[in-house]
Amino acid sequence: MTVALDTLDFDAIARRERRLQQSKWWTLAVAFLISLIWLIPFYYLAISVFKTQQEYAAKAPLALPDGLWPIVGNAVEAWTQAKMGFGMLNSAFYGLVGAGLAVFFAAMAAYGLTRLDFRRKNLWFMVIFAGTVFPFQMYLIPLFFFYQDWGILNTHFGMILFYTAICIPFPTLVLKNFMNGLSREMDEAARMDGASEFTVFLRIILPNAWGPMTATFLLQFTWIWNDLLFSTVLGNRPETRSIMNALQVFQGSYASAGPNIVLTAALIASLPSIILFFVLRRHFMEGMRVTSL
Amino acid sequence: MADVVLKDMVKAYGRHLAVRGIDLEIPDKSLVVFVGPSGCGKSTTLRMIAGLESISHGELRIGGKLANDMPSRDRGVAMVFQTYALYPHMTVRDNLSFSLKLARMPKPEIAERVAKAVTVLELEPYLDRKPSELSGGQRQRVAMGRAIVREPEVFLFDEPLSNLDAKLRNQMRVEIKRLQQKLGVTTIYVTHDQVEAMTLADKIVVMKDGEIAQAGTTLDVFENPRSKFVGGFIGSPQMSFFDGKLTQADGDWFFESEALRLPVNAKRYGDALKPGRAVWGGLRSEDIVPAGHGLQPTNHVAIEGVVTLAEMLGNENLLFGTFGSSQFVSRMQQPRLVQQDEQMSFHINVDRLHLFDKETELNLDLESQQKDQSEELDQ
Ligand SMILES: Nc1ncnc2c1ncn2[C@@H]1O[C@H](COP(=O)(O)OP(=O)(O)OP(=O)(O)O)[C@@H](O)[C@H]1O
Ligand SMILES: [Mg+2]
Repeated sequence: MTVALDTLDFDAIARRERRLQQSKWWTLAVAFLISLIWLIPFYYLAISVFKTQQEYAAKAPLALPDGLWPIVGNAVEAWTQAKMGFGMLNSAFYGLVGAGLAVFFAAMAAYGLTRLDFRRKNLWFMVIFAGTVFPFQMYLIPLFFFYQDWGILNTHFGMILFYTAICIPFPTLVLKNFMNGLSREMDEAARMDGASEFTVFLRIILPNAWGPMTATFLLQFTWIWNDLLFSTVLGNRPETRSIMNALQVFQGSYASAGPNIVLTAALIASLPSIILFFVLRRHFMEGMRVTSL
Repeated sequence: MADVVLKDMVKAYGRHLAVRGIDLEIPDKSLVVFVGPSGCGKSTTLRMIAGLESISHGELRIGGKLANDMPSRDRGVAMVFQTYALYPHMTVRDNLSFSLKLARMPKPEIAERVAKAVTVLELEPYLDRKPSELSGGQRQRVAMGRAIVREPEVFLFDEPLSNLDAKLRNQMRVEIKRLQQKLGVTTIYVTHDQVEAMTLADKIVVMKDGEIAQAGTTLDVFENPRSKFVGGFIGSPQMSFFDGKLTQADGDWFFESEALRLPVNAKRYGDALKPGRAVWGGLRSEDIVPAGHGLQPTNHVAIEGVVTLAEMLGNENLLFGTFGSSQFVSRMQQPRLVQQDEQMSFHINVDRLHLFDKETELNLDLESQQKDQSEELDQ
């Protein structure tokens, strides 16, 4: 039996199928409302950075600005007042080196935990991972005194040491799971091809773990970049001050800058993370896929 | 080039023995196939030879040199894995040259060796592709190429064809055999596919529970299975077994089971024959011939059987049936349509009846052979 295809009403079929896919108007409305609420702070940020101090004081907070030019003045003001250049450099250093080292060490740990033969692997993993089980704030006071005793308070070395250490556990978890899934026969083949243990790690495993490594690097970089608490306590000198710490000049009773300046500063301070994300987004998404974070 | 000698090789995982003492000599340039059911220790044995698994006990000699504690890269062995284990981040070219680069071979020489392997395996069009951009068969060839470029003394294959479809598998099987003969490299090949084993091997090693059940040429293993296990494992479809005993009448010996009464070749089994001895009688499908179909055995006994299932393969039929309550498989050449529950007459080739002891499941002819040998020694 054959169907008489030319007698079918394909427009009707298409309409019927489209109707099945279409959502109801009120779900759309609710979704729209929720996104609106979510977007209001961004809107507030976006308009405020284009207002001068007087304009900001005179108008309602959510009113549109008169022009675009005030942002330049705001940026210059924010940049100089908070010495943002210096803070940015410091934070970039902490973020790139700290997160970079952490992910590299985590990769080595993950390799060892998945590939090398030693006893009590799970115990060792738990020891490493225990670092993230407790709230980080718990470490604050002991660390401060320890750093003071060792004379590494307010040093770049001290900051890198802390950031590297605190950022190791999470990438270790992710990379361990990932490397568990990598074929063992692949490294056996490499070993038979004459590769040493370190060559297997460096030239076989690492290149295949690039995705999750980038993803965890980005997450850890952002965490370090946005960290205020530890950088304030452990590195509160002008030479070691991080960008988030630098922004604190706008807070407190002696601060004179208006919200338009503060918001501009905040916007500038968040740009590097965003840019890095866009640069690495392909790897990041790949990493997300394989680790299904 | 090198021969490989295993002496009393044992692999223990804690208290569990995966390999329980393997003695085997693999002559230079020969192709030996390990075959056996899943979990019998084929891979473990191979991996001990490869150096991927430590040797718990015994000796491994490659080219006369003791290799027990040699690192894998110094053993002169190359392995092709079941999953191919290609490096996914490298192009085919880099996959092939990785080992040579690690050995710090000069660039022109690397290029030369890669080119040679690529020509043999017809991989030119794919040199700059990644493994993910290749078909299963092409990946398989790259894996072989990676082994070839090292110009090893011994090739190891662990079920290299099991991820390919049937047609490609047959094709690659021939290719591997040809390659091995051309390069003249000692090869150890693991498979659980007995057809693959029989077609490839110079020498076939049937393993069971971590031990060698029988080692010999394909024909030898097929014609003279040492045990019921080997008889059942080698050959397709499986050998049919009948539970019975030996009887004697007027000086002639018979194998008697519930439905069969077959004369026994007294010369073959000699004084292993004892009246009333409980034995398994084994017959291959081609030795149970449907009357009137194909070549009839000269020395035969006719038995009535019932066909319960017929598998039509086109060029022949496989008939699954029963003699009384015992089941058998018969091969029907020049096939015709067979009805279910059809009653048929079968001619049994009594010269090819195999007898195995009921307890030890060893072939009875071993006992008489042993006797022969010890008599020879006495003289
Ligand atoms: N790492 C290990 N730890 C403990 N037991 C193991 C280990 N590797 C293998 N075994 C055991 O050793 C035995 C032999 O395994 P092996 O892999 O050699 O089997 P195989 O003959 O290759 O089987 P297959 O055809 O399924 O590949 C099995 O019983 C297996 O469970
Ligand atoms: Mg195996």
